[in-house]
Amino acid sequence: MGLFGDVAGMLSFLQFAPQQDLISIVTSLIWIVFMMIFLLYPTFSQRLQLGYILRDLERRLNRLKAMRDEVRARTLETLKKYAEKGVDVGRELDNLLLSFMIEPESMDPYGVVYKLEHIARSWEDTFEEHVKAICSKADRERAKTLTNLVDVARGMDYLYRVVRHYYLLGKKTSNVYIVLQVQMLIPQLMEIAEAYRQASYAFMHGQPIGDGVGVLAAAKLVENMEKKTYEIAKDTIVHETSFEGRKLFVLRAAGPGGAVGRPADGLLKILESEGDRVKAIIMIDAGLKLEGEETGKVVEGIGAAIGGLGVEKFKIEEASKKRNIPLYAFVIYQSIGEAITPMKESIAKAADEVVERVKKLITSKVEEGFSVIVAGIGNTVGIGVT
Amino acid sequence: MFSQFRAGKPVPKPMTYLKCLECGTINSRPFKDGDYVFKIVEEKCPKCGSNKMKIIGIYVKEPQKKQAQSRIVSRRA
Ligand SMILES: [Zn+2]
Repeated sequence: MGLFGDVAGMLSFLQFAPQQDLISIVTSLIWIVFMMIFLLYPTFSQRLQLGYILRDLERRLNRLKAMRDEVRARTLETLKKYAEKGVDVGRELDNLLLSFMIEPESMDPYGVVYKLEHIARSWEDTFEEHVKAICSKADRERAKTLTNLVDVARGMDYLYRVVRHYYLLGKKTSNVYIVLQVQMLIPQLMEIAEAYRQASYAFMHGQPIGDGVGVLAAAKLVENMEKKTYEIAKDTIVHETSFEGRKLFVLRAAGPGGAVGRPADGLLKILESEGDRVKAIIMIDAGLKLEGEETGKVVEGIGAAIGGLGVEKFKIEEASKKRNIPLYAFVIYQSIGEAITPMKESIAKAADEVVERVKKLITSKVEEGFSVIVAGIGNTVGIGVT
Repeated sequence: MFSQFRAGKPVPKPMTYLKCLECGTINSRPFKDGDYVFKIVEEKCPKCGSNKMKIIGIYVKEPQKKQAQSRIVSRRA
């Protein structure tokens, strides 16, 4: 009766049929009220949309929170293994999660890179020392990996807090434009969150990650060569060797603890001692692929292949320009998720390909008797020293 | 209501690839804590029984790519 009555009512309303019964009159009235709402209250549809988006965001936010809690719990559990009894690891971890760095003022950009470097390094050192103080039972390599693990947890926590902020702000102000922007970004943010979740596993166990492929290639390049190895900057080592009559300096972060080192400082020191004998700088790093591109593909280009805040990149570019040394770059394609999760086979295999291509480049671009610097960039977690 | 999300995606488990320093045989096993690439471990070679093996790789094995998965995704020629 109900549905039939509605349909009949609508039809009679539309056709202005003469004999209207009670149901059709009520139906017509409801229609009129609806039309009036849309006429007199033009943002009504927007309100409806806001409600839908907020509900969708709430669902995703709950998922984000579950992931945040999972990563925090895993980090806490791992830190506790290396902490002395009596240390309130939970409270210390929460302090670290909220730790921040204030970027230098760039109103007057002169010298801003070195200010940024100073602030970033102080922060990194303080962060690392704090983790070491909590985990006094961990050795040097393990402490570095634990610092990475806490950093992953911090990233995850920050991501959750930012999304929550915009969700609550949009809800409080009923501003559909705020929530629309979050809704547009949320698929990518969820992907990053999932990558953080998997990264926490990798750092908990000390497994190599996709980002480490540059270091892996550098290590494989000198694996069976006779060489002199020494520390040249903080967490950074250099292998000094010779290759087909050329002097070869292979720079990388020290492993197998998680570290990216300070390749620019190492490079500057080598340039100081070698002077104009250096004829090429070759950098190997993981690079962000575009959707649809193949993971583990090796591409070749020119420039400083290094990520991060930009300080290292700036210093390397400046030094190479000053001495007029060409910068060659090898990049191994991967997605942002693949870069911080356990290394995939195709990425690991790419390291062997890079080694061959680097050797070819050295013999074709650098004459015998001269020097060349090869820098493997990336996180060394799970990659030992050859 | 959120139960479908709680579990999350399974986390990929890497394998450790070892090469015997005596006979050069390569074999693999699941990753164990403490493993790292280029580490020399005291594990028995399944072929010659030698006691020294070197970790030559730690990575997640990928399933063989299906042919003609998509026309849009680039494939190796
Ligand atoms: Zn053997």
